[in-house]
Amino acid sequence: MIFVSKKIFLLFIFFIANGFAQISLQQQFDYSNNLFNQEKYFDAITELKRLQFFDTENIYSFKSNLLIGKSYKAGAKFDEAVKYFTLAEINARSDDELFNSKVLNARTNILRRTTKQSERILNDLMDDPKFLSKQNEIKYWCGWNYIFNDDWDKAYEIFNQNNLDTTLANLCKSVDDEMYSEKFAKYSSYIVPGFGQFYTGEYLSGALSLSWNVLFGYLTINSFIEDRVFDGIMVGNFLWLRFYSGNTQNAEKFAIQKNLQISNKALQYLQFNFAGERP
Amino acid sequence: MNYLRLLEMTSLKKMSSLFKSLLIVYFFFPLSYSQQIDFQSPQNIKLFANFLFCEKDYLRAVEEYQKYLQLIDDDSVQFKVAIGYSLMNDQTNALSKFGLIKKTSVFYDASKIQKLKSQFLINIDSIFYQSADLLINSNSIYSNNAYKLKNTSLLFFDKNLRSKENFLIPFGDDEKNKLSVFYNLKNNPPYKSETLAGIFSAIIPGSGKIYTENYGDGITAFLLTGLFTYLAYTNFEHDHPTRAWIFTALGSGFYAGNVYGSIASAQIFNAKVNFDFNEGVKLFLQEQNYFTPSYDFCK
Amino acid sequence: MIINKKYYLLFLFFLQFSSYAQTDWVRWEKFDPTYQKQDSYLQRDYDLSINSVSGLIVKPVINAYWFFVSDVDGANCPFYPSCSSFLAQSIKETNLLQGVAMFFDRFTRDTNVFGRLEHYPIYGKNHFYDPIALYTLDKEKIKIIPAKTFVNVE
Repeated sequence: MIFVSKKIFLLFIFFIANGFAQISLQQQFDYSNNLFNQEKYFDAITELKRLQFFDTENIYSFKSNLLIGKSYKAGAKFDEAVKYFTLAEINARSDDELFNSKVLNARTNILRRTTKQSERILNDLMDDPKFLSKQNEIKYWCGWNYIFNDDWDKAYEIFNQNNLDTTLANLCKSVDDEMYSEKFAKYSSYIVPGFGQFYTGEYLSGALSLSWNVLFGYLTINSFIEDRVFDGIMVGNFLWLRFYSGNTQNAEKFAIQKNLQISNKALQYLQFNFAGERP
Repeated sequence: MNYLRLLEMTSLKKMSSLFKSLLIVYFFFPLSYSQQIDFQSPQNIKLFANFLFCEKDYLRAVEEYQKYLQLIDDDSVQFKVAIGYSLMNDQTNALSKFGLIKKTSVFYDASKIQKLKSQFLINIDSIFYQSADLLINSNSIYSNNAYKLKNTSLLFFDKNLRSKENFLIPFGDDEKNKLSVFYNLKNNPPYKSETLAGIFSAIIPGSGKIYTENYGDGITAFLLTGLFTYLAYTNFEHDHPTRAWIFTALGSGFYAGNVYGSIASAQIFNAKVNFDFNEGVKLFLQEQNYFTPSYDFCK
Repeated sequence: MIINKKYYLLFLFFLQFSSYAQTDWVRWEKFDPTYQKQDSYLQRDYDLSINSVSGLIVKPVINAYWFFVSDVDGANCPFYPSCSSFLAQSIKETNLLQGVAMFFDRFTRDTNVFGRLEHYPIYGKNHFYDPIALYTLDKEKIKIIPAKTFVNVE
């Protein structure tokens, strides 16, 4: 009988022994987490690395790698963040942990504008039957990925599906409606010089382009009519053609620039005024 | 029931087994305490810092080492702190940390040559040469290393290059080959003459640029000057004076630009020669680790 | 399958390991980089503050050239600064005559389409970097940047 109680006692001791170690690792993690919450990210990483160094049984591998990744992400050190989220992924012990680390990895890639990578991660998650219940969250980040890829049209579609997020859907729709067609601007200027500039609201430049093209077109044709072939080739080649191609380049450039302004305005709003979750 | 058990326990044999179990408990308790990791014990700080250092996470390593040094005086750790700064190319901090190594330390000599390297990387100035001379004339095992660094550094300047024999004294055979190439290049750099470039281009437009090895630019200059001269000439001939004068102005512009550009091109060529030379010496020094011993703390 | 993927991830991870830690050689703080994209099109310096007599004549001419010609004839100059800015800057830096000579030299180099890649550093997405400092004939001002290097100063 006493033998039995001795065993129990020993077990108890072992439990305490292990327990103490765990408690101190837990304390270290809490301490790091505290630093993270105080936005002392550099120090948080130091303490998490210390935790990892002494955590010989890798009890905190997932948690610490994830938090290191989050710290780097907060400091906009995206390359490092991606590395540590990947490490967290490898050390994930449950579906939830795996999902969390993958989503954070995707969000970091969105911010880093490596949208191809985030798309791949999100698509993997989407195809995984384990995460069927999380489809909405995955789609939400897919939408953000489209936004950062300047695909406002697709972003609208995804946010609009089953009213996933109406605020974002409306924003993306309005941006997409406001955007100029870069191709239309360019090719319309091929037909009527200056047209693309008018389309993008650059009236002065459009008028200038039109005038130059009319002038040099007239001079070129006139030279040929008057049989001054050399002059005709010279003016046509060095002046008319130059302003003609410049005109189409400019029309496209204006459309691109205007679109950049439009999307930048929306991105500015998203960064500072949007209340929902951001990457 | 309890009573029975008490009876059992009174037997001597059982008593001894209880005693044994207590003994085990006695030994296990301290063990259980030690399992509660003291992250901030000097030993653990040092272990963690070593790990960071080998991960090349030098700033964190250095900060941990300094925490350790506040508790324990350890010159090898002090030396590693300085090396850490040096590896991060923070030479100012490296210099001051190497300066903390005491004369009695086994790292004293090593710290001297490392200090010289840091000074060299901060600026090759009179302070560098003073410390170099001090080290060369001392009986340090690294005095010849200092001599090598000093002589190589002279290659960066136009003056003070001694005779080749003197220059090569401190170097071993392998190094001698390389340094004698550097020495010859320094004494006879493959410069192009600005004056010649200008004169060439004044005689045949573009030839100065070809002389400075800008072949495409040279041919273009020749063609452009030629074209506008021809255009000016034919227009004068065909009685189009206005056009002729415009082409004359443009032609002379290109001609003047070509002479000017050839001189500039020779200057740029020479600047590139200097640049390549300096880069070559820098690369050589890096390969030689500035004649300092290298340490592998992470075997 | 899962194990394979793990190894693959590990492999990827260690592949990146070589560049590790340099980020942390300097302490850093929280940073929230802008979501906005950079507008990479060049901005003209129409500034008319006159520093010299030659500037008084040349700058308005250049401004007019920019407005009436350069801005509407498309992106033709492969260099940064562009030929017209090069002219404006060189006259500002030296004098009218030298500036014009520098401009003609630049124009010659602009016309030559061969060997640019072996010659000039690269500025931005599609320009060669060719600053006036190289051509003022002041040796002190010449700073060599090797060809093919990406430059993003100024």
